[in-house]
Amino acid sequence: MDIKRAKIRDLRNALDNKEISAAELCGEYFKRIEAVDPQLLSYITVTKDKAMKDAENAQKIIDAGKSAPLTGIPLAVKDNICIDGVKTTCASKMLENFIPPYNATVIDKLNEQGYVLLGRASMDEFAMGGSTQTSAFAKTKNPYDLESVPGGSSGGSAAAVGASLAPAALGSDTGGSIRQPSSFCGVTGIKPTYGRVSRYGLVAFASSLDQIGPICNDARDCAIMLNAICGHDRHDATSANVDTPDFTEKLGQPINGLKIALPKEFFSDAVDETVKSCVLDAAKELEKRGAALVDCSMPGLKYAIPAYYLIACAEAASNLSRFDGIKYGFRGEGRTFEELIRDSRSRGFGEEVKRRILLGNYALSSGYYDAYYKKALALKQEIIKEYNDIFEIADVILTPTAPTPAYKIGAQDNDPVKMYQADICTVTVNIAKLPGISTTCGYTADDGLPIGMSIIGKRFDEQTILQVADAFEQGFMTIAPKL
Amino acid sequence: MYDYIQKKGYVYMAVELKTIEHLCELSKLDYDEEGMKKVMGEMSDIIDLMDEIKEFDLTYDDTKDGNEIRFGDTREDVPEESFPTDKLLANAENTDGCYVVPKVVE
Repeated sequence: MDIKRAKIRDLRNALDNKEISAAELCGEYFKRIEAVDPQLLSYITVTKDKAMKDAENAQKIIDAGKSAPLTGIPLAVKDNICIDGVKTTCASKMLENFIPPYNATVIDKLNEQGYVLLGRASMDEFAMGGSTQTSAFAKTKNPYDLESVPGGSSGGSAAAVGASLAPAALGSDTGGSIRQPSSFCGVTGIKPTYGRVSRYGLVAFASSLDQIGPICNDARDCAIMLNAICGHDRHDATSANVDTPDFTEKLGQPINGLKIALPKEFFSDAVDETVKSCVLDAAKELEKRGAALVDCSMPGLKYAIPAYYLIACAEAASNLSRFDGIKYGFRGEGRTFEELIRDSRSRGFGEEVKRRILLGNYALSSGYYDAYYKKALALKQEIIKEYNDIFEIADVILTPTAPTPAYKIGAQDNDPVKMYQADICTVTVNIAKLPGISTTCGYTADDGLPIGMSIIGKRFDEQTILQVADAFEQGFMTIAPKL
Repeated sequence: MYDYIQKKGYVYMAVELKTIEHLCELSKLDYDEEGMKKVMGEMSDIIDLMDEIKEFDLTYDDTKDGNEIRFGDTREDVPEESFPTDKLLANAENTDGCYVVPKVVE
């Protein structure tokens, strides 16, 4: 069976029609992982033995005619989502040998469907970064160009799907970490509304912004994955107790009359001309299918980067204070309790993580709190208001996913400011707790790198953004990487 | 908001050494001399970027915060089985049935 860019639903049919067994399918993916991943470095841990056991169990369900949509489907899981008994490193030396004693809720939900775990996908350390180059163990490369970054922080998940080393993967998104790598690797990724998917078992970066979501080959597969992982969870006080619709329901429905807003600030000079023209061409394509384009403005975008980094880092400084080398994680040396903690943290965390902890404590410290942290919260309220105003006149919003296509490895090394500014197109979605999906809308003419566009929806209206992304994808020819 | 502007060659540092040292104290992090110089420069650039937010003329209203999504009610306070001790201790070093730390009380 050819697994290159195979969709979940194709694999479902093949498994249910007994064209391939769950173990054979798994074996096909491991063959590709063994052949391609030594160059790509998308996985930190490959869980072959567990996968074969998972596949055996899945086969029993399939043979009994009781398949769920993900029974026997092999998946990659970002290395910051806890899996009982499986090493979960967050791509950090701090958690190099950490084996969680429990499952994240999303993993329990995937287990209920009988999924198969291929392995743990690489990421930026503690999900802090947009290139996967801060990973302590696997600095993933882009499947379209091994000299370019795959994006991040869920770069391993996106690269694995892009290179057909998994048909789908779980990622997490705090400021664009699902959408931006999906854009760079030519795949589709959705960040659900905050509260739609339980965060229980997701190693926290910034608790008011983090959300787990799927990265797949298209919007239809994203809908299948989202159906499996969403829902209220009593283990997560910030999981919303709202209805969970069937996310596949509106796929294929016409988009006639749907209003799509294009905030002008997302198409400023900060965005590469090729990216801009690609996204605007996609907007025209959607217009041809019956959607109406609406011009609008989001002045608050100008301050979105400092607002996001102040809030995210303040929360990170607090969340990461639990890593002390005592109960779990890297243990340093020291004659006193204080020395032990400082040495554990200083040697366990990487440079970018340490910078963000310092910034977070700066924003929260006496004398700076009002000027920085509270100002960032005021900005958050303004951004929420501006989004609400746009949704008074439009159903969805269309923007570029990133200001540029994937850039060369090393291009942003030693320049954290440049790295932070590259998140401009995605961070406001997390600040406003909205759902957003990125799908490929073109490729660069010279080197064929994918370009992504984002569709942003109203809170808990993932159905409409999936519908719009799917409508575009049905008329768009994707190009798989040569790997 | 800078403590003061420290001229270093032609580079103006937005934060001074004592501020970074204070942040290291709060963060429980140590740097060697070379690392400290590097992080001072980087933090200076980062804080320059964060300073852009000061242009924004609005005040935070905490009565309007957190109302975007209504979260579920808190769960019932029912005792549940907790994790087995050996499973929790499996990730700790130097265990002897409990977490072992350097002597705290002299």
